[in-house]
Amino acid sequence: MNIIVCVKRIPKTAEADIFIDKDGKDIKKDNLVFTLNDWDGYAVREAVLLKEKHDGTVTVLTIGPEESKEVLTRCLAMGADRALRIEAPESADANLISKILHQAIKNEPFDLILTGVQAEDDGWGQVGVALARRVGLPHAAIVNHIEIDGGKALVKRELEGGIEEVVELKLPAVLTIQTGINEPKYVSLAAILEAEDKEMKETTLEQIGMGEKEPLDVTIDQVSFPPAGKMAEILKGNPEEVVLKLTEILRKKKG
Amino acid sequence: MKVDPKTLIQDCHLNLCIQCGTCTGACPIKFRSPLNMRRLVRETYLNSNLPQILKRPELWACTTCSTCSLRCPAGVKNVEMIMGIRSILARQGEVPSTIRDALENTLLHGNPWGRFRDRRADWAKDLGIKIVGEEKTEILFYIGCTPSYDPRAQNISKALVKIFQKVGLDFGILGKKETCCGNEIRRMGEQTLFKKLAKDNLALFQKSGLKKMITISPHCYNTFKNDYPESGIEVLHYTQLLAEWIGSGKLNWSKKLEMRVTYQDPCSLGKQNKIFEEPRKVLSSIPGLDYVEMERSRERSLCCEGGGGRMWAEGGTTGSRNGEVRVKEALSSGANIISTSCPFCLLTLEDAIKISGRANQIVVKDISELVAEAIEVV
Repeated sequence: MNIIVCVKRIPKTAEADIFIDKDGKDIKKDNLVFTLNDWDGYAVREAVLLKEKHDGTVTVLTIGPEESKEVLTRCLAMGADRALRIEAPESADANLISKILHQAIKNEPFDLILTGVQAEDDGWGQVGVALARRVGLPHAAIVNHIEIDGGKALVKRELEGGIEEVVELKLPAVLTIQTGINEPKYVSLAAILEAEDKEMKETTLEQIGMGEKEPLDVTIDQVSFPPAGKMAEILKGNPEEVVLKLTEILRKKKG
Repeated sequence: MKVDPKTLIQDCHLNLCIQCGTCTGACPIKFRSPLNMRRLVRETYLNSNLPQILKRPELWACTTCSTCSLRCPAGVKNVEMIMGIRSILARQGEVPSTIRDALENTLLHGNPWGRFRDRRADWAKDLGIKIVGEEKTEILFYIGCTPSYDPRAQNISKALVKIFQKVGLDFGILGKKETCCGNEIRRMGEQTLFKKLAKDNLALFQKSGLKKMITISPHCYNTFKNDYPESGIEVLHYTQLLAEWIGSGKLNWSKKLEMRVTYQDPCSLGKQNKIFEEPRKVLSSIPGLDYVEMERSRERSLCCEGGGGRMWAEGGTTGSRNGEVRVKEALSSGANIISTSCPFCLLTLEDAIKISGRANQIVVKDISELVAEAIEVV
């Protein structure tokens, strides 16, 4: 079973101080650390688990600058066999991203394409399904369980309200993978250093038959912080004073 | 230490084990987990079922306090064996999820807590401290991850800065450039990451022209002193420096501290590096302070369970925490303050006091906090 996993390098922002860039179209990223998108990590791990069960190969694919190689190396350390990086400018246009991915894998044999449900940075959650549509394959989104049975995949989808939907798809198919589908392994630094010797290919938009300036359906005009809420009250003072004020407020609210 | 499953037996001297059981008798978590050091040494020596041994969750219960190996009459390196087994597991990716997060955080952010690197020196704002590399100094005050980010442990960093400034010590900190020392990383089995941290840190220290470094955590002290390659930079734990200043009369006490204080020996400082006298010298010099020993002290001191990656481990142990046992022992010594000189001991003992509901009977203080109070810089 040959599996292609599409992955993305993202900045970690959970603990970071966020500032908006001068042009107002993005956040400042020079003081941030980058790593593999969490959802994609689960997708790669799932692909490796499927490979262990059903044989075959796992190919990881990313669109991005030179630095994106580090997430591909990580994927190789996780057990992927081959990696491909497509040099292209960053884009918020899921349609364009799916088009690039499609062009890049057109001549690759595969039974399954996995993507993460969404990326930690922009959270669009569109690339997987857009790619399925473009490649003309059945798809399931937000998948948290996969069983392969001959030419079919039996998958569970996580829906709102704790409901799970069971879907049967004919292979090849595209699945977008939800976090929690498996238990990620620790990727040791030794494994990452060893993976640097594994096969990694690079290509350009031109080489896959696309122009440098493709028409965009989506561009980002402006990013901004959400307006500060009016309900929050910050209590000031030393811990004793703050606790006193807080208990006072709670006592009043209880009434 | 190189770790190779094939040479683990020779490297850790497992063939020398005489099965006397001293290790198991000394183990501070023998009542808290199924870890049985004597049996583990024997089984690893026989090496008949390593894959089965690797599956045992209790391998992560060891605090690497080293009491077992220090007491072993045959010279078995028990703790090195645990680290060796953990490194096989880390290489295979088979580590508990909370340990995994701590290791990944260290590679990404330079600290196991996963905190933002740019905020590492936020505690030092407005304290007027030199930044090594920006201003000239030969003495580095190495803060460490926990005293940089943990709000309680930051008090130690601040207290020491104020003491140093009062004495007129010319020192600097690395600020945002400071990165994890790797002591706990090595003990969680990530040998390659430890080597990277050691190499990068040493390169930074040497580039900055440092002659001496002072650490807060005995864990940082231990690894700089014993695990790093020789660099010519003198490594001191802060209690050594304070004890020296007491000897030379540099510390001028201005306030009496009328309190009865006992002392928790951090394993990485006491047992592992034989620094028993200096902390006691500092404490007993503080005017008004009544110093009392707990029944188990120095080499016999009970580990607080904060080492060996246990700060990031979850579960794997049952029953009363050692911290709770220690708080009871401190109370029966008549103390109303447990002092220590390690951020992990500080945090584990404070937790123990809170969960045992004894906050009105006893409090934990770092030695630096008591000194700062007695020279009235806080």
